[in-house]
Amino acid sequence: MKIPTAMDDSSVSHHNGGQVGSQIGVSVNNKQNDEPSQSVQYSIPGILHFIQHEWARFELERSQWEVDRAEFEARIAFLQGERKGQENLKNDLVRRIKMLEYALKQERAKFHKLKYGVELQQGDVRPPPEEPPAEPEPAERAQWKQGRQLIKQYLQEIGYTDTILDVRSNRVRALLGLNNEEVENPNYRNYDKQQHDRCDYSMNHMVRKYDYGKEPRKSGVSAGGGYNEEGLSVQETAAVFANFEFLTNQEMDMDEIDDLDAKQSHHPPGKQGEEVDHEAEEVLNELNLLTEREADGGGQGDEYPVGSGSSGGSAVAAGAVAGAGEADEEPLALGELAQLTVSNEPEAYDVASANKESFRKTWNAKYTLRSHFDGVRALAFHPTEPALVTASEDHTLKLWNLQRTVPAKKSAGLDVEPLYTFRAHTAPVLCLAMGAPRSEECFSGGLDGTIRVWNLPPPTADPYDPYDPAVQGAVLRDHTDAVWSLSSAHGRLLSASADGTVRLWAPRAARPLLSTLRADESPTAPAPAAADFADAASRAAVVYRDGTLLLYDLETGQPVLRVACDSPAHRVRSHPTLPLLVTAHEDRHIRFWDGVSGRCAHTMVAHLDAVTGLALDPNGLFLLSGSHDCSVRLWNLDTKTCVQEITAHRKKFDESILDVAFHPLRPYIASAGADGLAKVFV
Amino acid sequence: MAVEAVQILRRNRPGSKAKDFCRWPDEPFEEMDSTLAVQQFIQQTIRRDPSNLEAILKMPEAQDEGVWKYEHLQEFCMELNGLAVKLQAECKPETCTQMTATEQWIFLCAAHKTPKECPAIDYTRHTLDGAACLLNSNKYFPSRVSIKESSVAKLGSVCRRVYRIFSHAYFHHRAIFDAFEKETHLCKRFTYFVTKYSIISKDILILPKLDDETPVGESEA
Repeated sequence: MKIPTAMDDSSVSHHNGGQVGSQIGVSVNNKQNDEPSQSVQYSIPGILHFIQHEWARFELERSQWEVDRAEFEARIAFLQGERKGQENLKNDLVRRIKMLEYALKQERAKFHKLKYGVELQQGDVRPPPEEPPAEPEPAERAQWKQGRQLIKQYLQEIGYTDTILDVRSNRVRALLGLNNEEVENPNYRNYDKQQHDRCDYSMNHMVRKYDYGKEPRKSGVSAGGGYNEEGLSVQETAAVFANFEFLTNQEMDMDEIDDLDAKQSHHPPGKQGEEVDHEAEEVLNELNLLTEREADGGGQGDEYPVGSGSSGGSAVAAGAVAGAGEADEEPLALGELAQLTVSNEPEAYDVASANKESFRKTWNAKYTLRSHFDGVRALAFHPTEPALVTASEDHTLKLWNLQRTVPAKKSAGLDVEPLYTFRAHTAPVLCLAMGAPRSEECFSGGLDGTIRVWNLPPPTADPYDPYDPAVQGAVLRDHTDAVWSLSSAHGRLLSASADGTVRLWAPRAARPLLSTLRADESPTAPAPAAADFADAASRAAVVYRDGTLLLYDLETGQPVLRVACDSPAHRVRSHPTLPLLVTAHEDRHIRFWDGVSGRCAHTMVAHLDAVTGLALDPNGLFLLSGSHDCSVRLWNLDTKTCVQEITAHRKKFDESILDVAFHPLRPYIASAGADGLAKVFV
Repeated sequence: MAVEAVQILRRNRPGSKAKDFCRWPDEPFEEMDSTLAVQQFIQQTIRRDPSNLEAILKMPEAQDEGVWKYEHLQEFCMELNGLAVKLQAECKPETCTQMTATEQWIFLCAAHKTPKECPAIDYTRHTLDGAACLLNSNKYFPSRVSIKESSVAKLGSVCRRVYRIFSHAYFHHRAIFDAFEKETHLCKRFTYFVTKYSIISKDILILPKLDDETPVGESEA
């Protein structure tokens, strides 16, 4: 049998026994190599075989190529898809940045308008321009830093220390950490947003607080405001950059994000000790309340310069402020980013406004002031600081700084330790008044008949500092019996004593006694129980033990109005703005009197037992009352309805609550009890 | 007032005379239902006659002794304010640079992180402030009805420090001490108290017997 000589060694033998064929093939092949010039004999079947064989080979290869091609096509499609996705994302981000920029500008304009009452001259308030945000100039940067410093200063002035700012930024970072990981998950994102909102919300208040500090010094502020504005724009640009950079990174490089997380995670643990945490918590809480109160104010006359509409703007500003707390040099300004991205979203407004509308302030016990050995007869808040003074039957007064707290064991409340103990009275201290307008002094009146002037130690004082005799000021000794009530206004002091007289003092003058008001010369005349300035301190409202209410003209020293009532009164307070007098009575009633006509405007059974304490909030919208029934009640003055009741103190003999007070500026109320405790509610 | 006719309300109403302050009929201890009953009872007895130490320190039956001691110590610290007020006028850091009684000991003020040689007036104030903080501490004395044993043990150190205030006044400001003692009988009461309940050891009590009627030593201690 003929063997095809041209047959390739690789070919598959189609004929004969495979083994033999292949062996022969090999030998033939060798032969072929040896003698290439040798003419080859072709046979038809051989050629056919060859062609058939070649065809099979090509087929095989072709199918392989096709597989490869399909593979590559798939890859191309995949890559194209990926690219498209990236582009979409990029567009989305760019749009978002522009939206934010626009919203920010608008907010700033709004904020400016509300604050200064003038339209902000801002050429470029228009829908997002096409050019990308520019890198901040070095000069601008300097200005921005200056602005930031200024804000920081204000914050420090009002008591927000670096620690708190740091804690705050740490929190923001922590929140952001979550954000990084979970951005793909819309639900989580929402949750996250809420967190941010909350965070922003509180930041918001911080800025308002800063506004508080700013308001009284308007002249100095315009410059500061300018810085603020400037600083903000640069800040914002930087933040937007950071935003962009950061989000791109996130898409492209998951590893880097892990890095980032790691970086963030070492920030908090060092600093966030328990104490700081507490403080921050406290501040946050306080701040929350502040807005809540502001919401109130907004509803009823709005004495605050920042309207609710501008909340977004101030939230942004808050972002800037929080940023200021962080290291300036940090390249990824994540803190700013967090606030910027969220606070301008429409949802943020919704949350804010919903909160404001549905809000009804509830006061909760926050601080317990324990250090007195006997009943606390009186308390008064510092005019501006979160501090108060208490006066007790243990013959002492104590100064408390609510920002210096000791965490209590398991309760939610905080214990405060006194900053200073005032010792000089030789009998129970019965009444107390803070200096007005001088905020660094206070006055106390005691069962020993003396009125003492005190120079308050600074809120940073240590309880175990050396004794400073300068804390004790003048002693006013004209009263011959227990001094039961003190009231201070315009540098003058009004005292009511069991010796039957009410006296007017200029406590710092060489001859402090200005005049003595006496209703009746007879020795059996009822003694005054309480007195208060009325009508911008031109008059004195005095209630007597027999229930009589007298209004004296302080110029002439003569009574101008006399109202009789059949129940002994314990307290009188005059409304801060209206000619209205409020009296608290033994017969459980609170009575309201028209300060002009003397007509009884309203009377109500307010408690289950004698009413002992009265306080009006600085806006004259709410009334606080305390009673021997152990409860403190908050009344809406407009509707005369009880808004809240708090059971606060225990009884000692038949006495319970002895005094209540509102903070003149901050959202604190307090009650003093016969059980030796004072409590502060926020 | 109609209410008062049927029921005594023990209250100090604003405007009442100093002499009428807390001047109400005594309330029997069994009828006191307040958590501050022990304090009320002690103050009531003291007010009746501050010199009658036996009566003041006679513990009602079925009374928790820890609470009894605690409330008494509170009362001592509170009344010591009166001595501190008097000392403030005379005991100056320049003259009494250290807390001493006899020349034997200089007392270091424990109110600081590291005990310090405070001037006597500062020692006095710091000790009273520190005692106020400790005795009102929610951690050690969360209740005025029952007190745990470990907290009762804290009373001893307070008593020891408080006693030094008496002894400083006695040895360095005798006029003040005598005037104060005449008015309040506080040191006699304190000595009687710590002896009766063996709160501090006798050799620390360096003051001589104040007068012969003082029943110090006659008691079970």
